[in-house]
Amino acid sequence: MVTAAERAEQIALVSRLKTFYPEVAEWPTPDEITHDHWLAYMKTPHDVGGELDYPHPYENKEEEEWELMTYVLCEVLAWRGIWVSEERRRIGNVDVGRSIYLGVPYYSRWLWSVGRILIEKKYIDWAELTDRLAEVKKRYPGALNGRRPEAQPKFAGDGSAVKRNKHHIRAVGVGDPQVFAGTAGKAKFKLGDRVRVRDLPAMFYTRTPEYVRGAEGVIAELAYESPAPEDETWDREDAKSEWFYIVRFRQSDLWDNYTGPNNDTLQTELPERWLEAINV
Amino acid sequence: MSNSDHDHDHDHDHPHKPMVDEITDFEVLEIALRELCIEKGLFTADEHRVFTEYAEQIGPTPAARLVAKAWLDPEFKKLAQTDAIAASKAVGVDWLDPTGFGAPSDFVAFKILEDTPTLHHVIVCALCSCYPRPILGNSPEWYRTPNYRRRIVRWPRQVLSEFGLQLSEGVEVRVEDSNQKHRFMVMPMRPSGTEGWTEDQLAEIITRDCLIGVALPKPGVTNNVTPLVRPAIRGVTA
Repeated sequence: MVTAAERAEQIALVSRLKTFYPEVAEWPTPDEITHDHWLAYMKTPHDVGGELDYPHPYENKEEEEWELMTYVLCEVLAWRGIWVSEERRRIGNVDVGRSIYLGVPYYSRWLWSVGRILIEKKYIDWAELTDRLAEVKKRYPGALNGRRPEAQPKFAGDGSAVKRNKHHIRAVGVGDPQVFAGTAGKAKFKLGDRVRVRDLPAMFYTRTPEYVRGAEGVIAELAYESPAPEDETWDREDAKSEWFYIVRFRQSDLWDNYTGPNNDTLQTELPERWLEAINV
Repeated sequence: MSNSDHDHDHDHDHPHKPMVDEITDFEVLEIALRELCIEKGLFTADEHRVFTEYAEQIGPTPAARLVAKAWLDPEFKKLAQTDAIAASKAVGVDWLDPTGFGAPSDFVAFKILEDTPTLHHVIVCALCSCYPRPILGNSPEWYRTPNYRRRIVRWPRQVLSEFGLQLSEGVEVRVEDSNQKHRFMVMPMRPSGTEGWTEDQLAEIITRDCLIGVALPKPGVTNNVTPLVRPAIRGVTA
């Protein structure tokens, strides 16, 4: 039903998305790309802390029905051992790439991650999803006129043979991260230790923000033991636990030209692999 | 103007803009995925309903109640500081609900950050939108925006001032970037002018924004800072 004119219009829209540095051509040759540009492209797009921006008005928003249903969908999939939330965070916040990350509504990325995980883990195939999308759309031709779209599963499937993670059973009655208590061995750092965040060339996924990399801080708390998100995000149930720490930084150490008072601070939580001791 | 009026003005075959009232791409995708999950046995319609009921009842009321209790009872305040998960139970929040291991995206690690005359906390998740959902409900839209997340970690005093909160140089501003499994909430100081108040009266002025740390409780103020609300196309039915 799509016309040649509509196709052309949509392609023109996509081509207006700007995702490259204006001073370098698209598809640069290797000699044209600097190390800094490479790092900028490889940076996980969810890590926005400290990026330049101007004040916007702060707005609340009424929740769409599909947004609530999307949140529930994601959480029930975790409850039933199809994924852990860290897989969702990578797929919906990082794997999408920068233009989708910044270009579409918040919960639509949650939704996108559900489709991706179901196909990637082979619970459904591409045609099943595509056919169902077309079918649902066909149920509601034209205006809804006050009707609310509803899910109409054709039957309830037998879930007994569905592949699920161990976590959704093991953590019951205990909680996460409590389920990992006692599995990381001795903590390398103690309260008050001075540490430096390692400046690692992180690709694909991390939750250690760029704005603390290489910065010095103090251990403010031994938080808990858990596998790091860099492993949990890939559904690695065999990943080794490590200690997590709340680290306190002075804002004037984090930011060049911090304009607030000297004693302003920022705290964030980091897994042990990202920290090194500072020998005083 | 109705569709036929529109046609009247344009007799060339320019494609029509979709009507606002059509099913959206997001609704189609959510319904398709949910149906397939149930048909494949990944979860049951019952489990989906149980979690929906959980998600519909979370909100900031228990969090405000917890802080009000702590203001009135020094013993409870100690519990709130040392074991916030246990303190949550006193206001009806069990962090293991509704799955037996918590709301999966929120974990079971909760800390309450106590403000003092020389220390003010504000929370953010610079990486996504981590927020103590089980006790504070869903985060406001602005909290999730790249704008708030980009700026609060670097220019906290400027951002707080945009919320109308000016803090003096003698007060340390501490940004808590909750980017892993801990969830955080701020316990502001009890304001003067509330002497003799009941728990109910106190809870009313402990707004969601106070618990995020972008506002301070004040007698007579029971609303969040920004009145701007963007309406939904087809919002959650109460």
